[in-house]
Amino acid sequence: MTSILAVTGLTIAHRGVPLVRGIDLTIAAGETLALVGESGSGKSLTAQSLLGLLPPAFQVSGQAHLAGVAGNLLDPAVAQRVRGARLAMIFQEPMSALNPVLTVGEQIAEVLAIHAPHLSPMGQRQRVLQALAEVQLDPERIAASYPHQLSGGQRQRAMIAMALVAEPLLLVADEPTTALDVTVQAEVLALLRALQQRHGMAMLFISHDLAVVAQIADRIAVMQQGAIVETGTSADLLTAPRHPYTQRLLAAQPDRLPPRLRRAPGETLLAAHDLRVYFPIEKGVWRRTVGWVRALDGVDISVRAGEVVAVVGESGSGKSTLGRTLLGLQPLTSGSITLFGQEMAAVPLRAWRPLRRRVQVVFQDPFASLNPKATIGAQIMEPLTVHRIGASRAEQWALAQQAVEAMGLPSDTLHRYPHQFSGGQRQRIAIAKALALQPELIVCDEITSALDVTLQAEILQRLAALVAEQGLALLFITHNMAVVRYLADRVLVLYRGQVVEEKTHAELFAAPEHPYTQRLLAAAQLEPV
Amino acid sequence: MSSHRWLLRFAFGWLALLATIAAWAPLLANSFPLLVCYEEGCQFPAFRLFSAVDLLWLTGWGVAVLLWRVRWLWTIRVVVACVALLVAAGIGSQLEPPALVVHESWRTHLTAQPAQRVLWAPIPYGPRDYLRDFGSTALEPPLAAAPQRWHWLGTDDQGADLAARLIHASRIALSIGLIATGVALAIGVVVGATMGYFAGWVDLIGMRLVEIFEAIPTLFLLLTFVAFFERSLPLMMVIIGLTSWPGYARYTRAEFLRLRRIEFVQGAIAAGLPLTSILFRHMLPNAVAPLAVAAAFGVASAILAESTLSFLGLGLVDEPSWGQALNQAVKAAAFNWWLALFPGLAILLTVLAYNLLGEALRDALDPRYREGVGV
Repeated sequence: MTSILAVTGLTIAHRGVPLVRGIDLTIAAGETLALVGESGSGKSLTAQSLLGLLPPAFQVSGQAHLAGVAGNLLDPAVAQRVRGARLAMIFQEPMSALNPVLTVGEQIAEVLAIHAPHLSPMGQRQRVLQALAEVQLDPERIAASYPHQLSGGQRQRAMIAMALVAEPLLLVADEPTTALDVTVQAEVLALLRALQQRHGMAMLFISHDLAVVAQIADRIAVMQQGAIVETGTSADLLTAPRHPYTQRLLAAQPDRLPPRLRRAPGETLLAAHDLRVYFPIEKGVWRRTVGWVRALDGVDISVRAGEVVAVVGESGSGKSTLGRTLLGLQPLTSGSITLFGQEMAAVPLRAWRPLRRRVQVVFQDPFASLNPKATIGAQIMEPLTVHRIGASRAEQWALAQQAVEAMGLPSDTLHRYPHQFSGGQRQRIAIAKALALQPELIVCDEITSALDVTLQAEILQRLAALVAEQGLALLFITHNMAVVRYLADRVLVLYRGQVVEEKTHAELFAAPEHPYTQRLLAAAQLEPV
Repeated sequence: MSSHRWLLRFAFGWLALLATIAAWAPLLANSFPLLVCYEEGCQFPAFRLFSAVDLLWLTGWGVAVLLWRVRWLWTIRVVVACVALLVAAGIGSQLEPPALVVHESWRTHLTAQPAQRVLWAPIPYGPRDYLRDFGSTALEPPLAAAPQRWHWLGTDDQGADLAARLIHASRIALSIGLIATGVALAIGVVVGATMGYFAGWVDLIGMRLVEIFEAIPTLFLLLTFVAFFERSLPLMMVIIGLTSWPGYARYTRAEFLRLRRIEFVQGAIAAGLPLTSILFRHMLPNAVAPLAVAAAFGVASAILAESTLSFLGLGLVDEPSWGQALNQAVKAAAFNWWLALFPGLAILLTVLAYNLLGEALRDALDPRYREGVGV
């Protein structure tokens, strides 16, 4: 097989700090090479350097040759010549990668105007429509649409059409499905695979997610700290990894974690009945309400002590609203919430305060969940003081220290500020902060989706231990079915504000009933237990 | 970047110099000698004119220098500062400076009875010393040769030494800027925080209030008040403060609207923390960046407002002020350049320094400038 791309000794440094250390890559025609690694491994830098997209502050050296192109691809002048025509890229976030003031058709036509200038306006339009049809979009309608009129999946398809319209030899895809819902992600992956085979195009696929990579890659290269530690065919690498880091990555996949201890649930902590949260749609000068967005439309949910209840659903299904509502952070339109035997829906927010200690929350974004202007110690101890836990400051300090150390954080954590920690450490601090109050229930809103897979595994196992040993209850909001299968006792599938299916963990994975649940499970491609 | 640092150093230097001059004004420019020694003993005539305000300025300056140089815990520093200022206020209230000062009395006395030792202030004239003993001294240009007198910056239309007046006027310039901005900040932050946190109806009503106050022209209101009431410095400070808070309220509101949606604030509510803690401990410290920048520019505009008022002849009576000196430059038949140049320069440098400070704060507090091109 002829190689389309050959990279030797690619090194990228920023202010003298090496970020990518002399990596070698080859991609053959029609082949998909996946570059897999955790955040900070240098995989995105590698992709951007091949297209000459790195800011001048980065020093790039090494050799990269594209079939049929004279000169080193890492030379900005060469990259400029081939970018878009022979080498195309699709990005993670399709909303920010498309220009919001131009129609999709105009943006695709612009690529053609540069790379195929001989085309007549009619011919150009033909090619645009053809490209959109190829990515299974309605060509006429989508060509005339602006990016904000499209869904996330449609946008990513439009991005792919734009990348493929000039018929590149190599497509670089940087986390192209990370921002998409699981079901949409599966469709886009299938589309990419089909298009690649039809065009005989080579693809460099960057991802942090081994489950995604397993669905699309022919060969996989694993990156760690700027170096490739292992390369192999998908089948070999996923079944018999040789390098310890690859082994660790694979072992950290939620569906490969050792099953957790489960116990019989205790008394009911939280029971909510017929929850409705509607947001008004207002129009015109007078802000007349013309309709309602039904974020939650008659949801029943209960959580018992020592039980993990998972809430799954796509973005916009109302799962985060449900978490916020149960915490009293979101006013209810109607319904009842019973927390520890007390009816909470009608009472003012102030009356929630005595119960706040017993229900804690951890959010998705570790960078936003801690106050950047206060030390970790102050932030953990303040709620302790408010809820009168610990007799003296020294005792509270000891409790905070204990909570931080239980999450495997350094012992000087309490003296430091949030910006001195990485995302994974901050998420562990956020969990420690919740645990310091010795709550009975924790609402976890996508707490691992911003984290690398090894960190996710660590946090999941720590939480599982707390559930098993102390009878902690979790309301676990997530979109990751593999995590659900590992952790949940009971699963609620939320779809457009309604619970479409509620089953115990074993029942759901054995026999999903609702079509949406079936699609969700099919898309997740879990290995059979 | 290096030119930036140089400008910032200038801004800090000028403001520190101005504060020093303002604090030490009675000892820098005074018609009475600092020290007079006869055979029977020594006296300190200048110190007998000390008022409570003079003492507070000096104490404040001393405390500021001490706190800047000494590396104590912040709580200790604040306690020390408060104690020092209270003691100064206590002593100050006991001081009884003479109500009527005959400025030339020591000059005539010393010509009649020469002393063994006399120590004069660097500028041996007070701001309200119209040099009656020398006859007509009005509108003399700088360094004009006159027997027994020497005026570095010339004299004004009343015959007072311009340098002495400018030195004493720096107090007004500094205090009006800081206090008026402080009043505006206090109102703006409370109103803006309430609007931003509670949103909804509170926000709607608050914004209308902000718009009403934004529609009031500060200068026009000042002119009206000055015409109807006495011309007093506290009144001017309060009016400038009362009309300039809407800007701060808007900034605070915008920041609070953003912050209340952020997870750590939601988390603070979910942890059951009291409202005051959520507002002032978790939200306000994360909203100070735009406020600090706006406040630095606000101080500059308050100084300009006072100068404008004094220039229009509606400033304080008999109190030295930079704007008033500017007014005198154009009031006489001829254009008296020194009365325009020196106070004009003082206003320019001070306003420039505060603007540079504001810009530097904006750059320092903006995370985009904090680190270069990020990874």
